[in-house]
Amino acid sequence: MAVQGFHPSSFLTVETARLEKTISTGKAIAAVSGGVDSTVAALVAKKALGDRLVPVFIDTGFLRAGEPEDVKSCLADPAIGLKVRLVRAGGRFLEATRGETGAEEKRKRFRETFYQVLAEEARKDGCDYVVQGTIAPDWIETQGGIKTQHNVLEQVGIDPVSSFGFKIIEPLSDLYKDQVRILGRHLNMPSDMSRRQPFPGPGLLVRCIGSVSRTKLNLLKHATKIVEEKLGPFNYEQYFPAVIENRFAKNPEFKDLKDIAGEALGLPASETQVDVFENRVTGVKGDDRIYGRLAGIKIKEDSRETFGWLPDKLRQAQVSIVERSPEVTRVAVMVKERRGAPALSVTIRAVSTRDFMTAAVASVPWKILKDAAESILKTGDASRIYYDITPKPPATIEFE
Amino acid sequence: MKGQYNHLIARRLQELGVDSHLMPPSTPLAKIEAMGADALVMGGGPQSVRSLDGLAQELREASNLMRETKLPMLCICVTHQLMATTFGGMTNLARKPEFGPVEISVEDEDAILEGLKPSFTAWESHNDEVIAVPPNFNVLAGSDNCAIQAMRHERRNVFGVQFHPEVSHTPKGVDVFKNFLGIIREQS
Repeated sequence: MAVQGFHPSSFLTVETARLEKTISTGKAIAAVSGGVDSTVAALVAKKALGDRLVPVFIDTGFLRAGEPEDVKSCLADPAIGLKVRLVRAGGRFLEATRGETGAEEKRKRFRETFYQVLAEEARKDGCDYVVQGTIAPDWIETQGGIKTQHNVLEQVGIDPVSSFGFKIIEPLSDLYKDQVRILGRHLNMPSDMSRRQPFPGPGLLVRCIGSVSRTKLNLLKHATKIVEEKLGPFNYEQYFPAVIENRFAKNPEFKDLKDIAGEALGLPASETQVDVFENRVTGVKGDDRIYGRLAGIKIKEDSRETFGWLPDKLRQAQVSIVERSPEVTRVAVMVKERRGAPALSVTIRAVSTRDFMTAAVASVPWKILKDAAESILKTGDASRIYYDITPKPPATIEFE
Repeated sequence: MKGQYNHLIARRLQELGVDSHLMPPSTPLAKIEAMGADALVMGGGPQSVRSLDGLAQELREASNLMRETKLPMLCICVTHQLMATTFGGMTNLARKPEFGPVEISVEDEDAILEGLKPSFTAWESHNDEVIAVPPNFNVLAGSDNCAIQAMRHERRNVFGVQFHPEVSHTPKGVDVFKNFLGIIREQS
């Protein structure tokens, strides 16, 4: 969709002039993840600084299988021309986040480690500046208290100079995703790269709901590969799985949710079950962050197939559950289960969104979801596969 | 206002060729007038406005601004509720809160909803709702769960909408802004 009012060439002229003036003859380090935002930010900075820009890629350990190597070779392509240095820090990140279950605390520990590693790299090269790809929704959500993005410091009152010893430059901080993609195309970024699927800075850490462990992380890596393969051809703006432990809240107020779901679906309560997970997930209701719950609807096997084709009924069930329980921000429907497998669930999420500020649930064909679910269950590491049926709001796109 | 979507309001208006500025409600009216503003659009936020006592600072300022100005106004979500409370209507906890897509039924197109009859899909995010419009205000639209989705003053070009016309998931939201701009042009 063409966006009026954004002119990449005039944006570049203004922004490179500002960078030249600010950094003058100094050097800057750019943290590049291979995602659209950080790559475009580095390309803008490179236009202004040339060889005085040092691009690095930090392997946090929360990346998808093979990602560090793929990104490095992709960025080295002459069309992009960023020769990144690979910094392996997976062990440090896992250590820093181990044992922590709170989404915000996990994100903050990730941020702390991220900037420590970056500061060490900056010192090695004598860089006083860090260029990063923070875009408008990142700091709007962080300032609004919805979630702490790992690349937002100054907007929440953290002074990077006294905390980490460098100054921060964010060439894209007023732009939205679609504008960044337009800018990327203008900078001759290959289209498969400018259209690349977004991946959160803290990566798989925020898709391991609750505490992170190697078991959960490995399952998540497998599931991510499968979901990207099966859903990739549909070009949804975002699609990915998350992993959560099968521990359920026993609060009395969740008891009647199965009647509510049954009523919305037009099924007797005996054919529906609603499990509310113990670990919390983020949501946004009426502009307020809610660290709420994920409710999983299980429809009796004979009827499950039918309901997969009835998104309006599922939508009604989702609305009724969220209306009834202020604590529930997210509802998912079970696609398939395998009894006797480890007590972990995988929830697949796919949404359509223009700017990531609001999102609609993608109507993934039920057959595709079933295929993906079967493949994930075959790994033997999960017992339940769900599909998230919640728009944003009341859920956020990511789970934490 | 602290709302997540307020940057999108400025963006949508810029896309329509309007010189729009995002400013806090503490901005003095004199400054807004000195900038040559033709209208005020007020956005949402996380606070509650059920009573004028105990309003958060930001909302008290927004309420004062609404009372003082003679400019055309479009108030969205929490400021739609604030407008009701400020001018003598009523806001309360919604019987059924709305999040995500909602079908809006247009009863009266009166300028701001022109071309949107009989209904359109809009994105919502609210726990509270307007339960009574102020004197001299008319209801323009409602939904299954919320009777007052849009209202206007009988004579002044002052409008309130509960839904979010600024988000991309309200496909006809841009028409609301276009209609509002048309009204301002006619008036000036």
